[in-house]
Amino acid sequence: MEINWFTIAIGATAAVVLLFRDWRLTFAALLLNYLAQALFLAQQRFVPPDLAIFGLELSTLVFVKLITGVAVTLILGITALTFSREYGLENLDEFGLAELRRAARAAQRQRASAPFQFSDYVVPFWAGVLALMASLALPRIYPIGPSAAVDFAWYWLTLTGLLTIATATDLLKIGLGLLLCTSAIDLLYVAVVSAPEASGLNVVPLVLLSLINVLLALAVAYLSGLLYGRLKTLELSELYRR
Amino acid sequence: MAYLLLIFFPVTMAASTFVLRRRTGLVIFAALGTVLAQLLIATQIPVDAPTRFLGITLTLSPLNRVFLLLFLTIGGFAMVGAWHLPHGENFVPIALLTLSQVCTVLLLQDPFITTLLLAATGLTAVLAIVDLPAGASNLVGTRAIAAALKYLVLMTVAAVLMYIAFVLTDIYRPGELPERISPARFILALLTVGFALRLALIPFHTWLTDLVDYAEPLVAALIITLLNTASLLVLILVFQSFPTLLLESEGAHGVMRLGAIVSVLVGGLLAVGPAPLRRTLAYLILYGSGMVFYGLASVSSIGLAGAIFGALNQTLAVTLLFVSLGLLERPDGRPPGVVRRDLLRRWPVAGSGLLVGGLALIGLPPLNGAMSQLLIYQAAAERGWIELLPLLLSTLFAGLGLARVASERLLGPAEETTPEEPLLLWEIELNRPAQRRLEPEPRSTAALTLVLLLLCLGIGLYPQPLLATIDEAIRELAFIRAL
Repeated sequence: MEINWFTIAIGATAAVVLLFRDWRLTFAALLLNYLAQALFLAQQRFVPPDLAIFGLELSTLVFVKLITGVAVTLILGITALTFSREYGLENLDEFGLAELRRAARAAQRQRASAPFQFSDYVVPFWAGVLALMASLALPRIYPIGPSAAVDFAWYWLTLTGLLTIATATDLLKIGLGLLLCTSAIDLLYVAVVSAPEASGLNVVPLVLLSLINVLLALAVAYLSGLLYGRLKTLELSELYRR
Repeated sequence: MAYLLLIFFPVTMAASTFVLRRRTGLVIFAALGTVLAQLLIATQIPVDAPTRFLGITLTLSPLNRVFLLLFLTIGGFAMVGAWHLPHGENFVPIALLTLSQVCTVLLLQDPFITTLLLAATGLTAVLAIVDLPAGASNLVGTRAIAAALKYLVLMTVAAVLMYIAFVLTDIYRPGELPERISPARFILALLTVGFALRLALIPFHTWLTDLVDYAEPLVAALIITLLNTASLLVLILVFQSFPTLLLESEGAHGVMRLGAIVSVLVGGLLAVGPAPLRRTLAYLILYGSGMVFYGLASVSSIGLAGAIFGALNQTLAVTLLFVSLGLLERPDGRPPGVVRRDLLRRWPVAGSGLLVGGLALIGLPPLNGAMSQLLIYQAAAERGWIELLPLLLSTLFAGLGLARVASERLLGPAEETTPEEPLLLWEIELNRPAQRRLEPEPRSTAALTLVLLLLCLGIGLYPQPLLATIDEAIRELAFIRAL
């Protein structure tokens, strides 16, 4: 059996997103995941190549995926880098300012009292193991795509995305899970609908899929900015605290 | 050209109103003008005359035309309501953008694009949920952020499920691979969960209760009326495009009907229990959504007519409910922070609007909901009393819930009567604090409430023209004929 390294790259980067909490690591993994998907599409040639760059024949679709990945990661990265800035304080009254100071103190206390613990990674790890088993079994039980590699890739992306959302402790992580899910349907659509027996790819859904990825990143960035501006933390436990 | 105008004109106006968003009056007038222009364009588009643009087919069916006009009218009502009711700084641009997206959904036949557009409407709506008024001195509530996050996650998951289902329908050939789990059932299950999330059917409803609790009434009204009803129309389009899904999975209809009955029954039961005003309204809407879904899941021409007419009536009733709620929650000149029980006396138009909206939702004659509920009951009766009885019980519970909230918040005795005390020694009239002036109901919003109220009554008394259009549209649906 031939090993498809791009599928392994998609799997490994999605696993990093599921397992780790540090946004510097997970954002880099997300960018690499988009890159691996683009290379996977280039390798599988679901769409006939229409560009020749440095002797390589590629389709425009590969570049669209790459640009989408870079845009999404840039949006989230810039948002994460500018969290510490304060916006719109000039309109706030004394009560609002006092609430912000209180939130900042609470967030500082929470950070101080929450050291690194291996137990925080137990649930995502075992969730990942279950997702891996399911992603290996499902392409045999219920094959949908034109090859086992495609089926593994989209099942794995969907499952890790859903499990990332389920095990997330902060808002950015939820956003990453949602982005993995949308990447999965993007890959499934390109692989399945481009098959000879299917209806054929249309440019509008492809453009809309990329647009949805970018809009989703913008919405997550906006909500993250709002939450951090309000509570000085992205922790969901603080958001749902009564 | 008219198709493109209908899609892109609100987008350009949304951009313009976003730039001018701090000039509230001007922006509302511009948006109202846009909606009126859209209504004019919508009436110019010929029915069932498909056209191609960028490889996709745009067409307007008679049924979608009715809903297109309704959505634009609701958009216009929202703009009028925005004059006096609280709303965020970006409400008008977001509403225009949403209208454009919903118009596009109604013009399209491609399930992939409609799913992605529905996902885009969800992402747009998230911005409206956490939107604060221009120059607000308070912070955005953490509950509003939590509601927006929940909505974002659930709508994206719904879009993912629906998209996977549509990809499967693209390669699915009926009768293939009999030894495997039937793809038709799998696709139908994915679609049912996806649309149940969008239509807020119990147990996929939590986003709706949070939305009603923590978002501004106008935002909640727009999301529930435009986006949920558009989703229902997309579901009908899906059944029309892929009738084999229903033909090949007969047992699944029963599961869908059972889900709808559970949703209706739990919605009605929750409405009876003690809950604040907003939460009770959310439960009544859940009950209504369940009824509409039951009509659709009954897969009969009577049930489908009831579902489509019910969706139309629900759109009007929910708009009336939220405009009235926005009015009732306005500061009225009395000390704040007290739960008032005399809201009907204090705000007679808004109080009546809330009552009539609630009664229309539960289908009390002669209001608009009555005929659609009757059709749905008839569809249930065809399946036997075991399906009709829970629906009737749920209506009773929903009615009791409405009666509870009316007695708690609307029908109490007047509270502002403070006895005039005699002047003390050396005291003159000028020494006394000025008499508190109670604010009257804002004229434009009161007029809007009355118009909605009359519409509900008018459609209830004379439903024939709408029913005739719906019947004609249903006759053309292949899946109903096939079943």
